[in-house]
Amino acid sequence: MRGLVALLGPTKVLGAHDDLLLYEYDGAVDTATPDAVVLPESTADVAALARFCHEHAVPIVPRGAGTGLSGGAIPVEGGVVVSFARMARILEIDVSSLRAVVQPGVINLHLSTAVAPHGLYFVPDPSSQKACTLGGNVAENSGGPHTLAYGVTTNHVTGIEIVLSDGTVVRLGGKAVEDEGYDLVGSSVGSEGTLGLVTEITVKLTPLPEDKRTLMAAFPTMDEASETVSAIIAAGVVPSAIEMMDQLATQAVEASVHAGYPLDAGGILLVEVDGARDGLEDARARIEEICRAHAASEVRVATSALERERLWAGRKGAFAAMGRLSPDYYVQDGVIPRTRLPDILRLVKDAGTRHGLQVANVFHAGDGNLHPLILFDSRRGPDELERAKAAGLEILTACVEAGGSITGEHGVGMEKNCFMPLQFQSSDLAAMRRLKDAFDPPGLMNPGKIFPTPSRCREFAFASTAR
Amino acid sequence: MPGIRLRVDRPVTATVVRSIPADAAECARVLADATADRRTVRITGSGTKSYIGDISATDIELATERIAGVIDHVPADLTVTVGGGARIADVAATLARAGQFLPLDPPHADEATVGGVIAANSNGFWRARYGGVRDLLIGTRTALADGTVARAGGLVVKNVAGYDLDKLLVGSFGTLGVIVEATLKVLPLPEKTDGLIARFASPGDAFAAADTVVRAAARVEACVVQRLAEGAWQLAVQARGGGPTVERALRDARREITARHGDATALGDDLGRMRELPARAIDGALVRVSLPLAASVAFAENAVRIDSFAALVVDAASGIARVHLVNDDDDAVIRDAEALVLSARMVGGAGRIERRAEHLRSRLPTWPTRPNGDFLMRRIKDAFDPAGILEPGRSAFA
Repeated sequence: MRGLVALLGPTKVLGAHDDLLLYEYDGAVDTATPDAVVLPESTADVAALARFCHEHAVPIVPRGAGTGLSGGAIPVEGGVVVSFARMARILEIDVSSLRAVVQPGVINLHLSTAVAPHGLYFVPDPSSQKACTLGGNVAENSGGPHTLAYGVTTNHVTGIEIVLSDGTVVRLGGKAVEDEGYDLVGSSVGSEGTLGLVTEITVKLTPLPEDKRTLMAAFPTMDEASETVSAIIAAGVVPSAIEMMDQLATQAVEASVHAGYPLDAGGILLVEVDGARDGLEDARARIEEICRAHAASEVRVATSALERERLWAGRKGAFAAMGRLSPDYYVQDGVIPRTRLPDILRLVKDAGTRHGLQVANVFHAGDGNLHPLILFDSRRGPDELERAKAAGLEILTACVEAGGSITGEHGVGMEKNCFMPLQFQSSDLAAMRRLKDAFDPPGLMNPGKIFPTPSRCREFAFASTAR
Repeated sequence: MPGIRLRVDRPVTATVVRSIPADAAECARVLADATADRRTVRITGSGTKSYIGDISATDIELATERIAGVIDHVPADLTVTVGGGARIADVAATLARAGQFLPLDPPHADEATVGGVIAANSNGFWRARYGGVRDLLIGTRTALADGTVARAGGLVVKNVAGYDLDKLLVGSFGTLGVIVEATLKVLPLPEKTDGLIARFASPGDAFAAADTVVRAAARVEACVVQRLAEGAWQLAVQARGGGPTVERALRDARREITARHGDATALGDDLGRMRELPARAIDGALVRVSLPLAASVAFAENAVRIDSFAALVVDAASGIARVHLVNDDDDAVIRDAEALVLSARMVGGAGRIERRAEHLRSRLPTWPTRPNGDFLMRRIKDAFDPAGILEPGRSAFA
């Protein structure tokens, strides 16, 4: 502590117990208290901190807004948490090159708001976009509802400045669409803060669509809703978003947001197409037709921006609305090929039932990216969380067996690192380890994340089912 | 040949063995043996891009031609899994039968293999519309120098489990391993394609029109500016999609072209010819740069003023430009090529001498400048291939 204060000054270092408690949790379920928190104000501060930690072999854990859902910002092995709250400036908006250069603490939605007057936006729109930071988006390779047609964070980042664990500052990529050599920018995005500390980001800006059509369709069961998703894609329509919600989720959302979703539907779809005005009516008509052919009891098309916002507010507020149903939830993020939706959704429900827990589903159906919200009540004892985790593991196992992934956008973090052998064989993990060692030889960057750790993963011995 | 000992640190003069593994496991064994014996390996798909880099003769030439074929295509999932040696053209034919397409239009379209296109990060003009190789690739299996086969990514379009080693392979030129399997995103075949080509008197007008087209409400598939040694500035625009969207895109493009004093006619196979410039540019030097979009027009104006200038093709939607330089004076070609790469660097871009006449190889390296972070690239290379058997000399940074 004294060393850090001497290095950076008292205003950039927190060490009091009460202050540290604020940094022991994120959006997931695990907690750990840092030894210190540093609030750097420049790349030079970050580099100085990294050199200090390198010299004293202290782990560094980067933190954006703490909205992460896999414990990525939790200092599971102690050390210094680096909050980027004070590195939150948009450094440049380059309209003619369709790029913005930002500091990592900039809030996702603030960037889109800032560039909107130029007719541009930043595509990835995680549900937490009012709070989450672009640094966090880069660390987790965040997605969002609109990534179906336009890609996730990695598809929209062309440059980063990264501070390595020995304090070296490297600028990788830039405003051009690619650089020569290995794609170190692409390799760093989604690395969950385990390769280095990203201190500057160059992102693509995209022209705002001229118009949109947003449809809400209600189905008697989730099966019909699922089949509709595949049918829309098969018909050659690639919407910008296809979101699905089950009845339990709909009821929670209606109680809190009043989005206007029908309460008696077994499943609802939220479908959006955007682009040039000319093709949108055709696309809307085809989607509506496909929904009705799959027994939709109601198809509602938003007729105003306000109505569209209301439909989306329900979706984006869904996680928060879960408080209406249960004091706690444990959310999983498995991905499956979207053709497997009907059977995996049944399996999700069964997994909950087996463990005596309700599961609500609100997810990116177009990508096959599930978000089962396993509801539990920790007041009833520690057994509740354990049962939720057991149900979660069953769901992830099924996702991997269906040819999918244990995480689509929330990251592995400390929550699923023990599950990595479900999806990857030891040779796959060894290849990833090589990248880690090249960037961070002493292993000080966000330790205890992504890779299975012997101490915490002893109880999980999986036979890999990876293909 | 008895009595001759092969050494890695002294390039041998001829390829000794041609190895054609039948599958991933056999490919991995070849690499494991090569590592153990310190024998160098060159990887070939169709051999279309052997002009890139400075690879010397290796002990083994490893051909991927038997690791080909479509392994799995699930139309409703919009994904396809193929062997690394599969030709892009063959994959396209399979997909077309199911009404889908792989939205990639790399040069050497008839011959290029999927593994080669990934390893060389070989993109065409569709990149800004559908994404490039790095954006379409969602999973790989790669035979590594230690004889293991590592899988990265998967079969699903969204996946953040572990590091994105797929990205590391894109543009790695085989220096990290042999890509034996790849899963890519595909799309439904659009119902309509149409295009136009326009002539402009000034580069300012051509690029201003291109810039408007790139940002237009109806997105186009390709937007390319060309200038040959003789003749006007040309802008080729192609749109694909639903009928109304395509019509809108071309209507808007035509209006912009007229406003900029351009003269538009129907598009023929112009884009194919522009895309295949690397295949044709066997003389002089071909410079390829990636630029911030705003820097494209100044780069183009500068390029056409060079003594050795022969042809310029700029993908105005993604900022990738190629300049073909031809001159009887070799020194002039070398000087001009290196100056162009440097000028790209100075505006925040990057570049390489993508191709040069055989006799210029020794005097004109592919990478006259080194990218930032090259020390990390070196470490990554050493971690994946500690004996340095894979593609020695192919790239300047690994």
